Amino acid sequence: MAFDIDKYTSTSKRVAWGDLDFEEFVTNPLPEATLRALRYMCDIEYHTVCYLRDLLVTPSHKEADVSAFMTMWNREEFWHGEALSAVLGAHGITVDFDQLKATRLKLGWKDRLDPIKQSLLGNIVGKDFIAVHMIWGAANEWSAVAAYNRLADLEQHPVMSELLRRIAKQEARHVAFYATQARDRLAKSKKAQVLARFALKNAWGPVGSSVMEPAEVTHVMGHIFAGEEGLREIRKLDEHISRMPGLEGLTIVETSMKKYGVSGPKAA
Amino acid sequence: MPEHKEASVDSTSFPAPHFDVRDYARTAAGSHRDTLALETYREHPLTTDTLRTLRYLQIIERATMTHLRSVLVTATHKDARITAFLTTWAFEKYWIADAFEQIGLAHQPDGTDVDRAPFNTPSEHTIRESVIANIIGVPMIAVHMTLGTVDTWLSRAAYARVTALEPNVQLAQTLASFSQLKERQLSFFEAQARYRLTESKQGRSLTRRRLTKTPWPIGAKAEPRAATENFFSRLFGDVPQVIDELDARVDTLPGQSGLHLLRKAAQL
Repeated sequence: MAFDIDKYTSTSKRVAWGDLDFEEFVTNPLPEATLRALRYMCDIEYHTVCYLRDLLVTPSHKEADVSAFMTMWNREEFWHGEALSAVLGAHGITVDFDQLKATRLKLGWKDRLDPIKQSLLGNIVGKDFIAVHMIWGAANEWSAVAAYNRLADLEQHPVMSELLRRIAKQEARHVAFYATQARDRLAKSKKAQVLARFALKNAWGPVGSSVMEPAEVTHVMGHIFAGEEGLREIRKLDEHISRMPGLEGLTIVETSMKKYGVSGPKAA
Repeated sequence: MPEHKEASVDSTSFPAPHFDVRDYARTAAGSHRDTLALETYREHPLTTDTLRTLRYLQIIERATMTHLRSVLVTATHKDARITAFLTTWAFEKYWIADAFEQIGLAHQPDGTDVDRAPFNTPSEHTIRESVIANIIGVPMIAVHMTLGTVDTWLSRAAYARVTALEPNVQLAQTLASFSQLKERQLSFFEAQARYRLTESKQGRSLTRRRLTKTPWPIGAKAEPRAATENFFSRLFGDVPQVIDELDARVDTLPGQSGLHLLRKAAQL
């Protein structure tokens, strides 16, 4: 299945919420735990540019389609941040650019070294590294779709759930890009498969876990993915990943969720 | 004046306070395809020389991701206001490049394939750049904002020259609208640059060194040297005073006088 990059770029829009009645939040506000999850997701969406930079130090950006996709993807994610920040704003929680900056400053050396490591690795293995980048992106976007849809289901809020479904729809288009790229590139190269398996097994964590405090990761992932239903979703994510060429049998999502204390029925 | 290491955290004093980044993001220009009136070029085709220049302009606009990479591996990526701006700026540049590509394709037989060749970025110094730039830290932002300023001045001058050399009403309209987009981008870059250069002595000397080493226009590295020579000689060969005027503008940036950057780049 090919991904039509022209169709994607020409239909890429910032997510709309102007037609949604935010007054609803006055009479029907979101509970504390959900706001905390939204705050997390909002930060992650804004921090996409930090991931973009990690991706740009690999050879991926030189390919025209990838570069076009990244331009639109980065902007769509920024607007997800703006949309969630508007919901938080309706509850008296301000997310400003300077706070985001403070989070980025706190990342310190770990974050500074990451692009160097990635670049080293990327330059050594060249084109095969693009496959790693693509499967990594696919895993993250699959998780995002699942998380937004699940939060929408859990809350059943007339305004927030609609907004989250709109965001999830855009994330699903990102999945289509990353998964198509990953499948093609993995299928073509045994070395890429070995690299991808190694990287996912050793370094993958829930979206945001490299940026946010572990306690936040545990809260948010627990809020969204705890219980039997949650576990089913987690396993679906692992199924998507393990259907990729050379990635059979990987259970990285379930394993890393357990690491953060999110486990099936017990935590419900 | 004190050296503000983290100037934009201080809300009473930060660069480009008049520039509303959120408003810019909200009202950014996307695809221009509906306003290009490509059919008019059938009757009034552009000259080969102009098409060659537009192709060059397209490639340097498309080199955004490569430029963004060298920006994002530095402290600049920590500033969420700047990254919000750059996210939108990259989006606008993508569509400007797309417009140039569409105009070029309108002069080709129907069904001509879009160029999807990988970008040519000969020298890769990502690791070194990342290490050095992170040791330098915040003053690096002054460099990036100044690069953006000078490059945007040059683009606007180039658009004006294309219009002067090619009396095509439709192209003139298109370029005038792009020039307006660039004027708005400039109001961010220039205010940021002037503020940061004024505030930091290290920023001034670093910027001076970096400006001198930069091949102009930004993205020129993606093209053979002959293409850049053609760009300068065709557009500015007969009007060296335009280049001098641009250099005079660079002279007005704190600590950047007497560099003659564009005269050297244009080799006039």
